Amino acid sequence: MAMERADVVVIGAGVSGLSSAYFLAKAGMDVVVVEKGLVGGEASGRNGGMISERVDEPPMIPMAVESLKIWPTLDDELGYPTEFTHQGRLQVAVSEEEMGDFFSERDESLRRGLSVEELDPAEVVDLIPGITGRTLGGLFFANGGHANPQRTVQAFAWAFQDLGGRLYQDTAVTGFEIGGGRVASVETTAGPIGTDVVVAAAGPQTGLLAEMVGAHVPVAPARVEILATAPLEPLFDIALVGNGLYGRQAARGNLLFGGGPHEWTDVDLTSDPGKPNTPLIRNIARRLAELLPVAADTPVIRSWAGIVEQAPDYMPIIDILDAPSNYVVVTASAHGFGISPATGKAVSELVLHGESSIDISALGLDRFAGVGPDWREERGWVPGPERT
Amino acid sequence: MESRPLVVVGAGVAGTAAAIEAVKAGVRVTLVDENPIVPSMMGLEVPLFFGRRSRPELVDRASMLENVSAANEALAEAEEAGVEVLLGTCVWGAFCNSETSRELDGPQIGVADGERSWIIKFDRLIVASGARDLGMAFAGWHLAGAMGANGAHSLMSRYHALSSQRMVVLGSGNLGLHTARMALDAGLEVPAVVDVSPTVRGDDAIASELLAKGVELYTSHTVREASGSAGEIDSVVLVEIDDCNEPVDGSEKVIAADTVCLAVGLVPNVELLSILGCDLIFRSELGGHVPVCDDWMQTSVDGVFVAGDAAGFHDGMALAPEVSRRQGQVAGIAAAESLGAVRIEEARDRREGLRAAPPAGPADVQAGREKWRRSLVKAGGLDVLVCPCEEVTCADLIDLRPPRYLGWESEQMGRRSLRTQLEDGPVNPGQVKRLTRAGTGHCQGRLCREQVSMLLAKESGADIAGMPLMSYRPPVRPLPLNVLWPHDETEQVRGDWPKWFSPTNPVLG
Repeated sequence: MAMERADVVVIGAGVSGLSSAYFLAKAGMDVVVVEKGLVGGEASGRNGGMISERVDEPPMIPMAVESLKIWPTLDDELGYPTEFTHQGRLQVAVSEEEMGDFFSERDESLRRGLSVEELDPAEVVDLIPGITGRTLGGLFFANGGHANPQRTVQAFAWAFQDLGGRLYQDTAVTGFEIGGGRVASVETTAGPIGTDVVVAAAGPQTGLLAEMVGAHVPVAPARVEILATAPLEPLFDIALVGNGLYGRQAARGNLLFGGGPHEWTDVDLTSDPGKPNTPLIRNIARRLAELLPVAADTPVIRSWAGIVEQAPDYMPIIDILDAPSNYVVVTASAHGFGISPATGKAVSELVLHGESSIDISALGLDRFAGVGPDWREERGWVPGPERT
Repeated sequence: MESRPLVVVGAGVAGTAAAIEAVKAGVRVTLVDENPIVPSMMGLEVPLFFGRRSRPELVDRASMLENVSAANEALAEAEEAGVEVLLGTCVWGAFCNSETSRELDGPQIGVADGERSWIIKFDRLIVASGARDLGMAFAGWHLAGAMGANGAHSLMSRYHALSSQRMVVLGSGNLGLHTARMALDAGLEVPAVVDVSPTVRGDDAIASELLAKGVELYTSHTVREASGSAGEIDSVVLVEIDDCNEPVDGSEKVIAADTVCLAVGLVPNVELLSILGCDLIFRSELGGHVPVCDDWMQTSVDGVFVAGDAAGFHDGMALAPEVSRRQGQVAGIAAAESLGAVRIEEARDRREGLRAAPPAGPADVQAGREKWRRSLVKAGGLDVLVCPCEEVTCADLIDLRPPRYLGWESEQMGRRSLRTQLEDGPVNPGQVKRLTRAGTGHCQGRLCREQVSMLLAKESGADIAGMPLMSYRPPVRPLPLNVLWPHDETEQVRGDWPKWFSPTNPVLG
């Protein structure tokens, strides 16, 4: 039997991989997506769902701004709901420390001509009924919002399939066949797939995959936590950041908020990493009750954890390896959801034309030239000692 | 942080037996039980399916506490033997270090009363958390008055607070017959016990007793619907079914009743074991997913034991509390031995002394449940709510419809269903949950998770035994933010709370 073939093999059915697959298929490419687990089964389906212009992380601004041009029509384009809502993002300060972050973000917005508004505590309360009156103020970014991560990643998957794309769940990558400085085929648990281009969008596993082709892509996996309350009456439709938390009120009314310490961990290429919650959810609960006293009596009914990855500078990577030269690296350093539409667009342009119309110059691999193989140990970005 | 050598969760037959066994072996034992529960939780159908049939005077906490103690003789025995007993205290979480979570200061449980939560570290844990009622959707089961057998037992025997006049019982196994008898003893009328099976499944003597008291036993019958006004059930329509589960036209019987009690089966409460990472396995004959455990009732997680209905329940055990008692005793002595309180030989002798042939259970429990489910679908259709909290119907689940509140329709969405999803790989209940919202409500999936799995297995042609378990997450009780609030929060956690990872570093290189 002839080996399966595709123009592009995308590794990872997370939001970055599927957005890339969708835009590539839309451009007429024959694409296969392989996923070791489920569509959106890891961080892409379980993040906070926040969408903003990322003035807090300037290298990402071009991607974030481009994404916010795509988000408003994404449901109609894909044919499936993402629960995108475009009511803005509010960052409140409940401490002097949080107030300190304000000025750089305000100035960055103003410098780039992006919409930003400074709010006094009373204006914050007007915008978010039930929020604590004890804020020191807020910054409102009109061009922001949120969406449902699981629904969005599934929407990309289905729309990709509607364009003829092939998607294989429960299919892990086991190796690569390389010839002439290029990947010739991707070996998977379901057999080899011959290809012209590989797009590795495997989140925390991105570094391990790169090792298999002899490349060094520095990312460190970490576990983070979120909780969900029972539904409340609609209070606000704005992505909210403050008191050390980020979150939103979902369309159904549940408050979904996360934040706080992360824990560095390790992953492998085939198994589903454990994603336990810890008593940290109590600390998150307190901060949420402080931020939104209106919800203090509302029960927490669920929590979850996710494994995200971080590059040394906490920024996404979108780049093509020098060798093998047909291997595209896409990883988002836990910022992937909001920028995912632009990620897909940028990757498809990179594959088709070798460059992107979006400024991704700050997201290249060259910035890690000085990062050695032991960087995680040097920074302490490694799992803690085993305790019992 | 509080610390205890041995914590036993649940003061039922198994938990009290375990606690007494261990304390007599010289171990310091803490026995935690959530009863009396916070009344507001009852309205959420947590931890049991109470069907909003509790009397309002239940809010009197002192009398609740008195009733709970009076209903449980073994509890007094445990206290006399020196067990530290924490009543009105639920265990909402259990945590131990694992590959991706290594920073805990040892294994610990999260507990809460009505006011606050705290953490207790443990060396050994015995989970005797019992079983809950198997939800079975029929038209009208979202109305007040549809409840479960264990919920009814709790309201009758523990709280003396069942607010019901006429109860129809679904299920003619020992669980159902026992429930009907309890209801009669509590002064209720029981017009009917109903089962899809062609004969009564439970004990003949109890069945005869019920017949003598005027209870009609409707075998080869199912429920078409329950209905009523003002959100309360006032009647239920039964229908006869033929050999193929098809409802027989014209065989409907309308029965006046304010309560329909589901006594089709019980599901082991494995949520704490699941979040601790204990290996679970689906065993039809034990009521669903149960922990893998050894001869000492120890689970796959070192130092974590299980006993009683949480280890598995079948209808043969409904009238045989000694099964739970022995399991509790074995777990108690095993925990004591592992803590060095008794010698292994002594523990082994004790275990051998407790060995007894278990009562026989039904041949194929899951097939019986599946017969109920299919008959209900055939009689009531697919537009019945499978998840009452989130208002998701069976048809919504099969079609993978986004929740109604999104108001989303598209040609593309209309073409998607479980069937198309199968082309991408095996159906995963967790994924279906997140797309349809079935199981994400305030009852934390207690009412629907088994039915959802059954429906998915049926629609996808998969074996339910191999279907992944929808994950359990803490808190396994719905706790208000201000109860979960960490009064014991350290300055370090408070002060070192980071912004999302850290601020941007200068770009390297």
